[in-house]
Amino acid sequence: MHPELVSGSRDLALGNMPSMLELKNISKAFPGVKALDDVSVTFNPGEIHALVGENGAGKSTLMKIITGIYQPDSGNVSYDGKPLHFGSYRDSLKAGIDIVHQEIQVIPESTVAESIMIDKLITMGPTGIIRWDKVNAAAQEFMHMVELNIPPNTLIKSLSAAQKRLTQIARALAGNAHVILLDEPTGTLTKHETDNLFRILRDLKSRGVTMVFVSHKFEEVFALCDRATVLRDGQAIGTHKIVDLDTNKLIAMMIGREFTEAHLGRVNVNRDRVVLEANALTRKGKIHDASFELHEGEILGFYGLVGAGRTELARLIIGEDKSDSGNLSINGAPARIRNIGDSLYKYGIGYVTENRKEEGLFLEDTVRSNISVAIWPRLRHWLTRCINQRQEDSICHDTVISMSIKTPGLNQRMENLSGGNQQKISVGKWLAANCNILIIDEPTIGVDVGAKDQIHRLVRDLAETQRKAVILISSDMPEIIKLANRILVFRDGHIVGEVDDVDNPEKGYKDISHAIGAYLR
Amino acid sequence: MTEAKQQAKDGNLEQRTVITGRTIGLITAALILFGGIALISDTFLSGYTMFVLSRQIAFFTIIALAQAVCLVVGGMNLSVGAIGSICTVTLGLALAKAGLSGWIAVPLTLLCGGLAGLANGLLIVKLRIDSFIVTLSMMFIFMGLRSGISGGQPYAVPQSFCFVGQHGVLGIPYVFLIMLAVLGIASYIYRNTVFGRRMLATGGNEDAARLSGISNDNMIMGANVLSGLLAAIAAILWASELGSAAPETGDSWLIVTFAVAIIGGTGLKGGVISPYGILMGGIIYTLIRHGLIEMKANPYYMNVYIGVLILLTIAVDRIRESYSNRQ
Repeated sequence: MHPELVSGSRDLALGNMPSMLELKNISKAFPGVKALDDVSVTFNPGEIHALVGENGAGKSTLMKIITGIYQPDSGNVSYDGKPLHFGSYRDSLKAGIDIVHQEIQVIPESTVAESIMIDKLITMGPTGIIRWDKVNAAAQEFMHMVELNIPPNTLIKSLSAAQKRLTQIARALAGNAHVILLDEPTGTLTKHETDNLFRILRDLKSRGVTMVFVSHKFEEVFALCDRATVLRDGQAIGTHKIVDLDTNKLIAMMIGREFTEAHLGRVNVNRDRVVLEANALTRKGKIHDASFELHEGEILGFYGLVGAGRTELARLIIGEDKSDSGNLSINGAPARIRNIGDSLYKYGIGYVTENRKEEGLFLEDTVRSNISVAIWPRLRHWLTRCINQRQEDSICHDTVISMSIKTPGLNQRMENLSGGNQQKISVGKWLAANCNILIIDEPTIGVDVGAKDQIHRLVRDLAETQRKAVILISSDMPEIIKLANRILVFRDGHIVGEVDDVDNPEKGYKDISHAIGAYLR
Repeated sequence: MTEAKQQAKDGNLEQRTVITGRTIGLITAALILFGGIALISDTFLSGYTMFVLSRQIAFFTIIALAQAVCLVVGGMNLSVGAIGSICTVTLGLALAKAGLSGWIAVPLTLLCGGLAGLANGLLIVKLRIDSFIVTLSMMFIFMGLRSGISGGQPYAVPQSFCFVGQHGVLGIPYVFLIMLAVLGIASYIYRNTVFGRRMLATGGNEDAARLSGISNDNMIMGANVLSGLLAAIAAILWASELGSAAPETGDSWLIVTFAVAIIGGTGLKGGVISPYGILMGGIIYTLIRHGLIEMKANPYYMNVYIGVLILLTIAVDRIRESYSNRQ
């Protein structure tokens, strides 16, 4: 460790402005780990303060202490100079501190107004009977603040991800929060939605709301925040004004070493080998007339808004949904895919889902089962029907080594691994199954910068060295420009453009924006 | 289990856990119970008591396993006892009415159990109805059939049929040995076969299983057939032990199956099963029942103790879980 970095330059608080939220010498240990070690941070009123650090650096523990979910072992939290002792999350709400979690936490069957006013439902006197007209009217005020221009009785389940996010922020505002903690708020939002969110956050800042912003995306930190505090291994490495920082400095502080963004260059594609060809694939209301070719050794990007048809098309290809018309051929021969078993065992297509935790992994099962789940039938003895365990372990072991997955062993429970390692396993599973076509949906959501770079290299390596054909679905434009050979742009269930030459990032941005048209203006 | 031990275990890539820390906890609990009852009772350590108790253990373990195989895929089987009762009636009809030999009657009974399970499975999968509702309705249907066909009268079974249920070798009842074999097979299925591990995957995360090319429908149907077969085995053994095929067999199974399966560490959310844990659950359940009798506890209050025991087990599990999560 670098003690000089820890003790020095911890806080460059701006002069003698009244500090709104102050953390002093916070330490918190869990059995076996020191999650936070003597961390002091000051959050000024009306600033957007970034909290950055790799996974496991202590960001979430710190946020949980601020919001009273955890109690610190030592140190104290003060707000407007008064010490705070939160016993629970409700205490922090009362004090005007609220958090917008990374996972969108909403009740699908409730209305927007109900979600926003959930703590302040207006009743007829003490009867407990809700006056919905008043609730809706009150909610409208907060919806207006976050520019949520929909009827207040819209059901949450019909909203887009961005609208749900705004609903959560409105709920915090309705709770009279002066400090809002935002944990990866841009998650699956597209560039346009993100820009819109940022504009709203800046507007809230001008109204004096303090925001703590946790993000893995540096461009967002630089675009939005006033100051940044870097955490590493539970220690506060330093707090700096954003204007004094650049990406390299920030990364150096985060990972403790210099880091240069690698430009990966183009993969050599074999255009003569068409691995997969889709011809006018259609599923009504989801995706229309989708035609494209995928070549050996190619990384084909699917870019578009969430719901634009990218994932929907992928689900048609793997047989998860049925197509209404159109056809698919694989390796030159027409393919009939009725279910995922067909796509996996007959055609060697692997799909890495965007919802890793919900539908990608068996979190309570072992690393072993998560890697080998798709190859069990192959390892089965013809007579005894039993799985060859030695062979299984050796394949799993090879996968762990070749993908440099950090795990104490194959018996480790999946949920104990970091996001990056979990993601490597969701990809590694298909490599173990010898899939030649890989569809990778939003591979770097919720993984830290070090792991993100590893996953990017991995995706590239799949195409370049292992000659797999890769479809990369992403709403992270720098990511897709960095990795893809070719990009298909999706809008409203149609492929609206194809960007072929992505050597030049500037031009890539412009071409994609051009294809997506009005949505980016 | 201590962290160091856990790490040492995980560090070995080849080693797979068969006996978990939880099972060791259960063994300890069973030993304490055993010692405690031995201290307060003079008759407990007799060969006869052991014989009778181990038969009970075998029986409870098998019916709990019949429940657990459904819990594993994220479902449940409320009709487990009802399947047991129509299997008993089938057995009685085959042996007493049709005069068939046991060699034919037993496979017929197993077939009946398997078909009943298949019916449950098909309804759950094809109509996409929750297993709770399907097996609740089927429980009534099976019980109604049982009463209608049998008229409530027990069937006499030939003395030769009772050999397995009433005898043993070296003081160990055959029933207990059969139960051990069943557990061994179950454990093998869940650890070593594609079918078993896919059932665990389906129960662990249905979406992830589907996206991994697993047919959840087949797993759910398979689990229900397995459950029906196990219920049939229990019914056959019970008739053999009792010396008659009594139609009311199965009426008291339901609560016991949940109790023993839960004590034995079967996850109610699915994806987790420990056959040997269920055996320990069966032992603990039997010992507590026996201990209460030895202590001359009012038998009318028996279910209170069992209910408290189930809650206590779940509470201990929750505490363990939140403790290990915090690590």
